Amino acid sequence: MAAKTSILILDDEPIVTKRLKPSLEKRGYEVEAFSESVVALRRIRERDFDIVITDLKMEGVDGMQFLTEVKERSPNTEVIVITGFATMETAKESFRKGVFDFLAKPFKLGEIVEVIQRAEAARRGRS
Amino acid sequence: MTRRIIEWLRRRWADKRGASPPPRSFAGLFQQFKELLAANNRILELMAEANERLGGEYIFDRHYIETFCQQTIDLAGRLVFGLELLAPHRYPALRSAFERIRTEIEEELSGRKTWVSTEFIMHYAAISRAHVDDVGAKNANLAEVGNLLGMRIPRGFAITGAACDAFFANNGLDERIDAWLADWRRGERSAEETAALIQEAVLAGRLPGKLARDLDGAVAELARQGVRRLVLRSSAWGEDGADSFAGQFRTVLNVVPTGVRDAYRQVVASLYGAAPMTYRRERGYSRQETVMAVGCQEAVAAVVSGVVYSRDPVAPERDTLVINAVWGLGGPLVSGRARGDRFVVDRDDPSRTVEMDVVRKAEREVLAPAGGLRREEVPEPLQTRACLTAAQIARVAQAALLIENTFKQPQDIEFAFDSKGELVILQARPLALAPAQPVRSADLRGLTARYPVLLQGKGEAAQKGIGAGPVWVVRSEEDLVGFPAGGMLVARHAAPVYAKVLPLAAGLITEVGSVAGHLATVAREYRVPALFNCPGAVELLADCGEITLDAEDNIVYQGVVKELLLYGLAEEPIEESREYRLLRRVLRKIEPLYLVDPASRSFRPEACRTLHDITRFVHEKAVQALIDFHFDARRPVEEPAGRLRWQVPLDLVIIDIGGGLRPGAGPQIRPEDLRSEPMRAVVRGLALPGAWSNAPVAVDFGSFMSSLTRTMSPELATPRHLGQNLAVISREYANISLRLGYHFTMIDCYVSDRTGDNTIYFRFFGGVTDERRRARRARFLDATLAARDFRVEVRGDLVVARLKQLDRKQMIDRLVALGVLIGFTRQLDVMLTSDERIGAYLEQFNALMEESHGS
Repeated sequence: MAAKTSILILDDEPIVTKRLKPSLEKRGYEVEAFSESVVALRRIRERDFDIVITDLKMEGVDGMQFLTEVKERSPNTEVIVITGFATMETAKESFRKGVFDFLAKPFKLGEIVEVIQRAEAARRGRS
Repeated sequence: MTRRIIEWLRRRWADKRGASPPPRSFAGLFQQFKELLAANNRILELMAEANERLGGEYIFDRHYIETFCQQTIDLAGRLVFGLELLAPHRYPALRSAFERIRTEIEEELSGRKTWVSTEFIMHYAAISRAHVDDVGAKNANLAEVGNLLGMRIPRGFAITGAACDAFFANNGLDERIDAWLADWRRGERSAEETAALIQEAVLAGRLPGKLARDLDGAVAELARQGVRRLVLRSSAWGEDGADSFAGQFRTVLNVVPTGVRDAYRQVVASLYGAAPMTYRRERGYSRQETVMAVGCQEAVAAVVSGVVYSRDPVAPERDTLVINAVWGLGGPLVSGRARGDRFVVDRDDPSRTVEMDVVRKAEREVLAPAGGLRREEVPEPLQTRACLTAAQIARVAQAALLIENTFKQPQDIEFAFDSKGELVILQARPLALAPAQPVRSADLRGLTARYPVLLQGKGEAAQKGIGAGPVWVVRSEEDLVGFPAGGMLVARHAAPVYAKVLPLAAGLITEVGSVAGHLATVAREYRVPALFNCPGAVELLADCGEITLDAEDNIVYQGVVKELLLYGLAEEPIEESREYRLLRRVLRKIEPLYLVDPASRSFRPEACRTLHDITRFVHEKAVQALIDFHFDARRPVEEPAGRLRWQVPLDLVIIDIGGGLRPGAGPQIRPEDLRSEPMRAVVRGLALPGAWSNAPVAVDFGSFMSSLTRTMSPELATPRHLGQNLAVISREYANISLRLGYHFTMIDCYVSDRTGDNTIYFRFFGGVTDERRRARRARFLDATLAARDFRVEVRGDLVVARLKQLDRKQMIDRLVALGVLIGFTRQLDVMLTSDERIGAYLEQFNALMEESHGS
């Protein structure tokens, strides 16, 4: 059996990680969740994740900075952006940075699962 | 004829009003009206969306809540402004009502608390979980155990958070506490010193006059029922929620009535113990969230007391529940001062005790006659005897399972058996399970291969979650009788009447239903996993016995899938998180509709309590403004209008405000001249022969006819009467007001290809007959309408039914049904001489509807 897909979630609103983590675990993913970007940054310097899900607008480190560092360290990691402040500008910029997809909050659980599955497929296609 | 009447009306209106002539055209006004309607629909849509967000299917954050509030406030503001344009200076109080509600919502968002109830005292019988912010979770949970499950709880009442606020304000405590807390945070005083200062000030506080009076009154009332020994328990915010302050607050036992005020102060003061203060500081609680509601209950003279965990907290996978019990009161057991007997019971068979550990119980605590508690020796033969009998163990176990099922979470329950051997539930709160869960993804993978799957990938979750129980098929309202707590409700429609038993259900599966509907809302409120729109579910599941519903992945399994249930129970309920609570709180200022009946005197701007009320008021008055304008004598008549010529003995004036009539039609309008789709549908229903001439009416038909024709006789042709048989229509819209005999009916509907805009509002009112028959008629209407997906509210004489967002064809079907119903119901109350006849008439009506489909 293939190794579990590893996912890191970063959102400074605890409700998002609280809701996402158990649901994704139930679907067989290995999930680590963070509400502070500094801590999440430390973690991605320690290890790579297959998929990173991050908010864009947070206290402290800016989500754009965070995803830039993720892609620099590990270009194979697929980054999915979730944000409540979706504008065309932010969407365009994050795609320029190589973001896999962009979801505006609120979204359905099923929607993000579908995006994750597509990201997994994209990774498989590359390897 | 119609022209003459309209002319006459115009003169009448002109007489009544002075002022300058309105400069606008009817078309322009209707354009404004349509914009109002659009804003109106958008608000309803946003409200439904927000409600859906609470179902657990969506990921949202605080930003969403703020955006949602801002949007609804903006739209409601536009409605208020729009009505000011349509009817200048008519409703000056509307703006201030709007501003008041807006401020309340903004205060909620800023973290300031606003109470649902401003009462200081609430009796347990009147409390539901909607009052959790007012009375605290401990009070609310206990009240639900009593009210919903019918178990015995101590008699008593809650002293609300609003009372606590008033008490603090009365003594200038807020400012002083803030200053002391600031000193503590700066490190100038220790937590203990600060706590001592605050508690001293609280204990010295005077109760505000109203609180003292209300409290004394409620205590005296209990005394009249024979309750002269009381317990005062804390019920603070967050105490029983996700954050647990377990054991940090004060409970005062065996209080005499004259000691209640002091005991109240003691419980409130315990809010500022050093431990909870530190806990709140660590958790980032704000001062606004520091609220102490208190429960004041009869002291139960317990022969034996105990605690039951509905699931073993250290070994949740074992499927057992654990009971600990001692002789006398439960204090020594709860505080850990005494060991009790321990019974481990099989959850699958509560009559089977799998382990028993009986210890020597030398002492017990009992109520002292003069108040307070006393310790005494347990009589020798009892010391080594198990303090619960096999029958008592089974009763406690069953109660625990029922309570767990109702709250959808493992429970930590305090109970007692009184001198009469009756089981009394003293407290019920969520039980935290061991954090390291062996049951995780590994066990949950491949479930579909291990258990027979009955349904998969179908349906729409109205409330996420996992539940298991025996299938109970509900085909009609009668099937609700005997619905077993913990049963799996399976039905064709998500009919609002099922809300009665839903809180007891382990889950809900329907073939048809709207996740924005009423039943979905109730499912969410009670966290009942619910899956809608599963075609064929009734037939498929009817004989399946026990099933497990996974409304997270939309799968139904045969049998009980224990891994899933355990997973569902171990999960921290997302509904308790701050954001869900905030969204629920702001929704209370936005969504409920209190202004139901436009004919009632309380239908005033001042009475608006929510944005929905504002919306409803503006809608009603905007329609009125349109009609008034049409009959305004100071402008030339432009719109086509006329009287309907048809076989039905009903005089109806129709005003077309845009595309509702064939060009050139009028003043005699034939049904085929109608271009308004909703109007055509209603007229088709009204004209269905069976609707008007079902046999039993024959006796009364003559007089009925005469009452109808009289409507148009000159002496009665006052605006009041005429206005009641009026339809304002456009191609997509109809507003119909009818007076049939003594019944007053109103339909307001909008039907187009934009499903989201479609609405029907139906109101039925009046009827001369005794109350019992009126109640039967209301039940008849309720049943007919609910079966057609309407959300029905019955209040005395008034039946209001709403339906929205079905597609065009479905809306048209419902409108035809309303037409038939209006004809059918007009004298129904006279004929409904017994309860049994309701069923017969329901059948008759349904047969009629079948016929109309055939035709």
